[in-house]
Amino acid sequence: MDYTPMILDDLVEHYLAKSGFQCPSYDCRLVYQQSVQMPWFKSVQMRFIICYYNFYGSALLIRLVAVATQKFVADVASDALQHCKARPTPVVKDKKQQKDKRLILTMEDLSKALREYGVNVKHPEYFADSPSTRMDPTTRDE
Amino acid sequence: MSNGGGEGGSQRRELHGKRKLFRGNDFAYAVARMAVAQICEGVEINVYQESQAREGGRFSSFQESALETITDVAVQYIQSIGKTAQLYANVAGRVEGNSLDIVQALEDLGSGLGFAGISDTDRCLADSGVVKDIIRYAGEAEDMPFVYSLPRFPINKEKRQAPSFFEVGAEPPDEHIPVWLPAFPETKMCNRSEETNVGTTEGEVPSKENGSTLSIVQHSVDGGRLEILKSPKDVQMPPEGEGIVEGNPFLTAPLRLVEKEVSPVFRPLELSNEVVSINDVLDKHMSNNHHIPVLEASAPLDEINKKNRLADEDGEKKDGARNLVRFKLGTIKRPTCLAKNRSFQEQGWFQEGEDRREKSLEIEEKCKRIESRIVDSDVK
Repeated sequence: MDYTPMILDDLVEHYLAKSGFQCPSYDCRLVYQQSVQMPWFKSVQMRFIICYYNFYGSALLIRLVAVATQKFVADVASDALQHCKARPTPVVKDKKQQKDKRLILTMEDLSKALREYGVNVKHPEYFADSPSTRMDPTTRDE
Repeated sequence: MSNGGGEGGSQRRELHGKRKLFRGNDFAYAVARMAVAQICEGVEINVYQESQAREGGRFSSFQESALETITDVAVQYIQSIGKTAQLYANVAGRVEGNSLDIVQALEDLGSGLGFAGISDTDRCLADSGVVKDIIRYAGEAEDMPFVYSLPRFPINKEKRQAPSFFEVGAEPPDEHIPVWLPAFPETKMCNRSEETNVGTTEGEVPSKENGSTLSIVQHSVDGGRLEILKSPKDVQMPPEGEGIVEGNPFLTAPLRLVEKEVSPVFRPLELSNEVVSINDVLDKHMSNNHHIPVLEASAPLDEINKKNRLADEDGEKKDGARNLVRFKLGTIKRPTCLAKNRSFQEQGWFQEGEDRREKSLEIEEKCKRIESRIVDSDVK
């Protein structure tokens, strides 16, 4: 539980719920709501147990999925990065220094990297796509 | 590399517009996209070419299509984990998945690439190679949380239902609307406590449920008419001392009977007029035929009358009490029809009913006399 993944728990929970996976936390919440209404279920200890189970039962599981997804994405990205580096650099006389500085995740590298993971992505050949410069302010100077 | 000019930008914008039409969860997708971009930014090459890595081994920007593709793949990955885990849970005969199902799903998804110990037939799921890989990754990767803090994600997750008529404490405006349906938006929180208070001032109204279930059955008396409201939802209402749901006025404990002093309830004018007119018609009808409908001579009425013995003035007072029961048992029109039919067909029954009623009247008069004698003797 020490590691906080970059993919938020709520996001993972949302997509898991969308895929039909029934997380135990939902039922715990239901039980909790019922326990609020039912008089025979109102002992504090019971609630504590439910909260405990809710936290550790669902949060651990969601964290596991989040870390696994993050690992998957990071693996794909590092593969794509290696493809990007291993590519023979096109000879551009003017912007050499800029070329070395910037690494852009392109569809070609990504499709090569994803192919190893069993995802076949076809990049349309003549599709004009611009790099998004939102993530890094240093590339704004162009 | 960056071959998108102004035209590409406009194209992209159009694409975005089209996509927004059929993508339902834009917000989740946008968050996932940011997270994936952050992960990709965090990926660093730490390999052989030191010279290049020094210059910057990270992605500094993305092609939009590449970013969207990898986001789609990540989302699909999560969803396929969920599907496979649910499949394994269902195969094991469970509805909820647990963490071992997730591990098995991860193994399934990672089997294309392979992991340590995949070839063992009897391996323990708890220390599977996938989990070890994940643990190793979590140890190596830098601990960087998501850049933005989000509100609690599906915001309307714990949506509360609209309060029903009974919870609000109002009466539905028409008779065909049951009490347990959600109240109309304009009905206000009114006379719930008042009704219970009136119940006490009226005296112990006879009911089979006593004591603890006083909050369940509400008695309200307005203008000589008595109504019993029952709804199955009341049973779930928490008894006193159950104020855990803070901020929800409808789930708080009902007031004790004596706790609050409230003025008695007055019925709106239209309703009372209507009822009076109907009663008049009924009375006329009955006075013409000298018949009493069977329904009115039934046992609970007699009980009520016995309890109300204090203010018992035989005829009209009883008629009034009877009218309320008629009101409760069915729609307004029904008793008249009943009375007509009975008057044509079953005269004998009514004679009996009348006899019974007369007997009961006699008994009550006797009781009254006895009481008055007792009172007199006390006074003397």
